[in-house]
Amino acid sequence: MTHRQRVQLFLLLTPVTVFLGVFFLIPLGTIAVYSLLTPGLYGGVEWSFYHWNYGRIFGWADGITEVFEPVYLHILLRSLGLAAATVAICLVLCYPVAFWVAGLAPRWRMLFLFLITLPFFASLIVRLYAWLLLLKPSGLLNTVLMGLGVITEPLDILYTPVAVILGMVYIFLPFMFLPLFASIDTLDRSLIEASGDLGARPVQTLLKVVLPMTVPGIVAGGVIVFIPAVGNFIVPDVLGGAKGLMTGNLIEQQFLSSRNWPFGSALAMVIMALVLGVLLVFSNRARRAGGRT
Amino acid sequence: MPGPLLEIRAARRSFTTPEGRDFAALDGIDLRVEDGEFVTLLGPSGCGKTTLLRAIAGFEQIDDGVIRLDGADIGPLPPHRRPVNTVFQSYALFPHMSVARNVGYALEVRGVARKSREAAVTEALAKVGLAQFGARRPAQLSGGQRQRVALARAIVAQPRLLLLDEPLSALDRNLRQQMQIELKDLQNRLGIAFVFVTHDQEEALTMSDRIVVMRAGRIEQAGPPREIFRAPKSRFVAEFIGETNLLPAVVRATVGGMAELSLEGGQVLHARADSLRPGAKVVAVLRPTDLAPAEQGLAGIVRRVIYLGADLHLRVEPEGGGGEIGVILRDAGRVPAQGERIVLGYDPARVHVMEAGA
Amino acid sequence: MRRLPLTVFSLIFFAFLYLPLAVIVGYSFNANPVNMLVWEGFTLDWYRGLFGLDRSFDPQSRTVYVESTPQMLAALRNSLIVAVSTTCIATVLGTTAALALNRYRFRGKALWSGGLMVPMMMPDIVLGIGLLIFFTSAGMRLSLLTIIIGQCTFLTSYVFIVVQARLAGLDPALEEASADLGASDWVTFRKVTLPQLAPGLLGGALLAFIISMDDLVITYFISGSGSQTLPIYIFGMIRRGVKPEINALATLIILASVLIAGLGLWLRARGDRK
Repeated sequence: MTHRQRVQLFLLLTPVTVFLGVFFLIPLGTIAVYSLLTPGLYGGVEWSFYHWNYGRIFGWADGITEVFEPVYLHILLRSLGLAAATVAICLVLCYPVAFWVAGLAPRWRMLFLFLITLPFFASLIVRLYAWLLLLKPSGLLNTVLMGLGVITEPLDILYTPVAVILGMVYIFLPFMFLPLFASIDTLDRSLIEASGDLGARPVQTLLKVVLPMTVPGIVAGGVIVFIPAVGNFIVPDVLGGAKGLMTGNLIEQQFLSSRNWPFGSALAMVIMALVLGVLLVFSNRARRAGGRT
Repeated sequence: MPGPLLEIRAARRSFTTPEGRDFAALDGIDLRVEDGEFVTLLGPSGCGKTTLLRAIAGFEQIDDGVIRLDGADIGPLPPHRRPVNTVFQSYALFPHMSVARNVGYALEVRGVARKSREAAVTEALAKVGLAQFGARRPAQLSGGQRQRVALARAIVAQPRLLLLDEPLSALDRNLRQQMQIELKDLQNRLGIAFVFVTHDQEEALTMSDRIVVMRAGRIEQAGPPREIFRAPKSRFVAEFIGETNLLPAVVRATVGGMAELSLEGGQVLHARADSLRPGAKVVAVLRPTDLAPAEQGLAGIVRRVIYLGADLHLRVEPEGGGGEIGVILRDAGRVPAQGERIVLGYDPARVHVMEAGA
Repeated sequence: MRRLPLTVFSLIFFAFLYLPLAVIVGYSFNANPVNMLVWEGFTLDWYRGLFGLDRSFDPQSRTVYVESTPQMLAALRNSLIVAVSTTCIATVLGTTAALALNRYRFRGKALWSGGLMVPMMMPDIVLGIGLLIFFTSAGMRLSLLTIIIGQCTFLTSYVFIVVQARLAGLDPALEEASADLGASDWVTFRKVTLPQLAPGLLGGALLAFIISMDDLVITYFISGSGSQTLPIYIFGMIRRGVKPEINALATLIILASVLIAGLGLWLRARGDRK
């Protein structure tokens, strides 16, 4: 590189590096520091080392009582389960549709791709609000189902984990669809024909040819849905009741009502560790699967 | 006597491969280009020809050595300060500008007034036969037309030297042959020196005043097309330029400028050659087109006959063994049959002898 | 292949995507003031109420609207200020980063290009509380400024990715050709790189704008009492209870986002064709 290029590179890269260094890396660092500080009596922190923030999450409330009480661990596991369920349902819903869209004529394809991305641009809170209306005991879903005679009593879905999963699936569908579509669209259709030609039944072709070859898309979609789902607090806040409490709500409470910032920070650290773990494991796997094809 | 237009001395450039190995793209290049000359850099991919071209244009820095243009060292100059223009392999026409603005770009960025710019653009477009196309966008042109626009754009500022990086490789065969002739004509009319990079030996032979054959960052041989074709200095050059038969042999005797060579199978080959020492191991270079059925010559069995329309290719196994010999017959009166015995005649003056191991 | 079941499934899928939005739009015109889930005829009252235009309301509910209209407009104004500022800053930062990573070879390049994606991948709640702790420890009052700074961190990632993709699709020979023909680096950037980059730049900026207008979680943690944005305002309204005016507001927001997204996709399609 010439001197001139070195100067240009420095000028281009310095602002973004400084900005993200100060306003991204340092805030993440402060979470790590806070998670190891002692919570103050009236909401503040004391600058002394305290590891029971993490202890509390995994079932030991503090150093004195040492009674195993896994209430937070349960919430954490429930968040994980919910995120996993969201990923699975999104996948099952999106896969056939992505396949269908990929097989359309170019004009229709553009239209349906546009229709998939459009709700992503409509406000998140508005879309959740729509489900609030739909799921109310006197809402459209119950009215229709009762009108059809499918049910006699209104379904009490709102403020349950089912509502939370529904809301999350609805919000994250485009996230799953796009990587899946990208992966299915590049699939060589003659491979499917070849498999059929060699005597495989459609189900066999799906399991032995199509699914393995679209693993990178499945993994990418899964990761992209899992990350925002696992720490989400808006969906449980709007659609979930007391039973639907998630780690995200717990963190929010620590910061905005209980004012136990160190405990909230420790919870956030756990979420961050989960996300990083998923990213590390699956980005490698996706790359390897991608390399195989 | 004035110096050469372009003089490159001991140019070196090495890259580090992604695996971390050092790799010399230019390994001590010495090259002179005279004013008005058409020089072709020829070689397989990875031989350093494109790196050399990019070093002249200023897109690559050389680690070592000197590049002079009209006697001045241009090594430290960035590309935009060098009086050298390039025709890119992809043409690199600016898609957001009209053809006329593309062609006038070099003048526009130099601050030339609109009036004189337009005149120069019109003239340049006329030179490449696209006078009517100024208002179009590059996307609306065919491959051959884009090629011409790229040419017009590169000559509009009257560079001292025009660099062409495989400019014909994207064209189909017919158009390529037509463009070869047009390029050569254009060069004659402009009087600008061309340095042309290609891996296509036919292109090199058709257009060049001088061909520079490169291999692994070095110049293997440089000379006029006929010399490169008829008298290759090495096996590499012989094989790279056209199809050829390389026959290992031993010099038996030399009599009055005529050498008698003994081939591996025992047959005798005559060659017009001086200064060959009897007993020396050599390689005889014999072009397939220089062989034809005759009364006397090399005898062998036809092993394979390939009919290619205008040409007839034969693979002949010489009597006594020693590899196969390729023969190209332009005008086959009678098509020899497979397994038939054939005698191949040749002109000893067309047998080139080089040292074994070269 | 068996196409019909697939088609039916897909059409149901798209109905599932759009039905909730359609329901909001429908309810927003429902005249029933007591139970908005029971249809009672067409009205534009809720839209009028939203903008404080209606004077014939019963006093009880009217107080709510009169007080909420200026608040809503203030929230909208805040959202626009934040979105415009973050779009400008994030576009500059993301574009310079993409340029640096696209045309220079330097050590640690992989680290940078990976690192620039991280803010986008970070769960927003983690980033939100990190910024909250950071700003309060630094003694900064929570305001529009903190929201702008906070959103820029992850919006820069989005712009970076969009612009980077566009840059990667450009022929590097174009810039070389410009330099070869005598243009300095700056002239090349102005006359060749920038016009080529424009669709990507615009796409990235538009994406940043939409995401900024919609951001709830991060803004939720770092907005002060006087710096509510529109999503936070709606979030608060929903938490207090469902009112028909929300339907009208939500309908307007859906309309606006459809328009902006349509504009963005149209621009992108135009950019691709060039």
